[in-house]
Amino acid sequence: MSYFQDISAIISAVFSQDAWALRNAMKSEATWILGILIALIGGWGIAMIYKRVPWLDRHLERTFMVFSYLAIALIIFWGVVDRFVFSNQQPWSTTIPPLLFMIMAWFGATYNVRLRSHLSFSEFRSRMGRGAQFACLCLDNFLWMAFSVIVIVTTARAAALSASNFQIVLGTDNVMQWWFLATAPFAFLLMAARVIENFLEDRVNYREGNELIKQAVIGGGD
Amino acid sequence: MTDGTFITLISIGATFLFMLGVPVFLVISSWVVGCSYVLGLTLDNMGAELLNVFNKGFALLAMPLFILTGDLINKSGIARRLSDFAYACLGWIRGGLAMASLGACGLFAAISGSNSATTATIGSMLHPEMVKGGYDERFSAATAAAGGTVGIIIPPSIIFIVYGFLLNLPISDLFVAGIIPGALMVFGMQFACWIICRANGWGHLIQLKLNRVLKTAFGAWLGFFAIGLVLWGIYTGKFSPTEAAGVTVGFCIIAGLLSWIANKVLNMDMAREWHEKSYAEMLVVEGFTFKDIPGITMRSAQITGVLAPLIAISVVMQQILSLLGAQVVITDFLTSMGGYYPVLFAAMAIVFVSGMVLESLPVTIILAPILAPIAASVGVDPIHFAVIFLVGASIGFITPPYGLNLYVASGVTGVPYFRLLRYTFVYLIALISVWFLVALTPDLALFLLPER
Repeated sequence: MSYFQDISAIISAVFSQDAWALRNAMKSEATWILGILIALIGGWGIAMIYKRVPWLDRHLERTFMVFSYLAIALIIFWGVVDRFVFSNQQPWSTTIPPLLFMIMAWFGATYNVRLRSHLSFSEFRSRMGRGAQFACLCLDNFLWMAFSVIVIVTTARAAALSASNFQIVLGTDNVMQWWFLATAPFAFLLMAARVIENFLEDRVNYREGNELIKQAVIGGGD
Repeated sequence: MTDGTFITLISIGATFLFMLGVPVFLVISSWVVGCSYVLGLTLDNMGAELLNVFNKGFALLAMPLFILTGDLINKSGIARRLSDFAYACLGWIRGGLAMASLGACGLFAAISGSNSATTATIGSMLHPEMVKGGYDERFSAATAAAGGTVGIIIPPSIIFIVYGFLLNLPISDLFVAGIIPGALMVFGMQFACWIICRANGWGHLIQLKLNRVLKTAFGAWLGFFAIGLVLWGIYTGKFSPTEAAGVTVGFCIIAGLLSWIANKVLNMDMAREWHEKSYAEMLVVEGFTFKDIPGITMRSAQITGVLAPLIAISVVMQQILSLLGAQVVITDFLTSMGGYYPVLFAAMAIVFVSGMVLESLPVTIILAPILAPIAASVGVDPIHFAVIFLVGASIGFITPPYGLNLYVASGVTGVPYFRLLRYTFVYLIALISVWFLVALTPDLALFLLPER
């Protein structure tokens, strides 16, 4: 089959809500083409939404991160209280928090792309000329975008596999694991949007002669 | 070209990316993708592993929770009280404020589990006071950076959690084994600090007053309670390290909220000095409101959002290294060196050199599964080796060119990175001395674990 037909098969499997068909359709190489299109077009679309709705720009990832973080703390804290005070413990209190951690980690990674606060050795870069600095920033953006495409495709496949196997979160009766896993490709779609935002910002800074590289410190500052 | 040549070229390319300032996460990811392509591995393995690292790791959850604890005790004012107590105890010695900031790092580390949180909190709190007190600003910033290294050795510690998670060792045993070496690191750095301050005549001396020590100790009771809660829970086995982290977060949130309410009800002025306050007033800290909690959590989430993906991709890198046979090569190299001490010192050298160019988490994830079995094969106790390995990894936080604490200290104090290095060297000597002491004396790590 051609790439076009393979992509059509994936899209129709999504709309038919048939996890088994989706899993099989996503095995094709065309999934990579679709992944690139989703990352570029979807990422650009989200970047434009961010531009028009600044509230989303500031709060989308933060909301996911804070809610999942506090939910993890609350579930584990309550699990201990439940055990010591009420001699009881919910079986899902040890299985849901790791899934929430996964959500927090990838949305956190996305948010840090926007803040450019992922750890790096920037001593040489900060001493380069403006052209070289801009080239380095473009290289970062290219690598983040390539990584986003890879993770969107591979984690979407993993989520489809989980859904087709009806994997249930341990300790629950009807909470499906893919509900959590599917947030990973979404987080990386948001990352693609952040990369596009960063690129547009770098281009403006380069053209207008603004400072290109600012030191970001994790955990320091505010 | 052979696969080996391709892998070498990819590794050189990754090093080049690192030197260009590409984020470490992307450097490792590029290496993983390149090697997967050469070895004919599907990238789906990487995607699945990026999800599984978190899904399968309840133990790993202690990491974000102990990071959050650090931010909560900072915002609630508990960290300030701990540093006041440390200053009251050490302010009468030459360089007392700098030594107190190292002591405060140790106390902060006993509640939080993060090196960067320790450096950022103590550095931002005490650096301005140290500069005001006549200390060289470079020395002050270097003190915060060096003090942060104990953040991951004195329990709880996020890196011990990762190590235990990877090598299937009891995390509670690792925590207990870190107590004495962590305390020695603090004492070692304080000794180095005292020598430097004495030589330069830095710091104003304050009188040692029993009333001040008692009052500030009383004021730090919430901090001591949190330390006791963590250690008691883990030492007695009442809860796992992850649960201990959850309980500490819960405790800090409740203490912070209640303190804020008590402040409002009793109309207290938190800005007053210790001698203007009664013992009853010292009981309550600044606290925070419900509205502050998302902001505090966000700060921790940002740090976790950097470290957790790095752990995930490093696990994938470790798997590829295993496939490449790196373990066999390093094992052959180390075992050819002979017995216990040559292997131990060679392993320490590898950890030290790796710590200079890589962040400590990837160093741990990549090297620990390779070096630990070799050390065990020559008779090094696994818990003892874990402590040796992690003290070495923690020293990596202040070794140039890539020392994370140096960046954090530079960020919170405003002292440029390269200017910090001069005084970092003194602390480095102290830490390396303690490292060798711990390596040569297994009892320092195992004394509190009599069943081993």
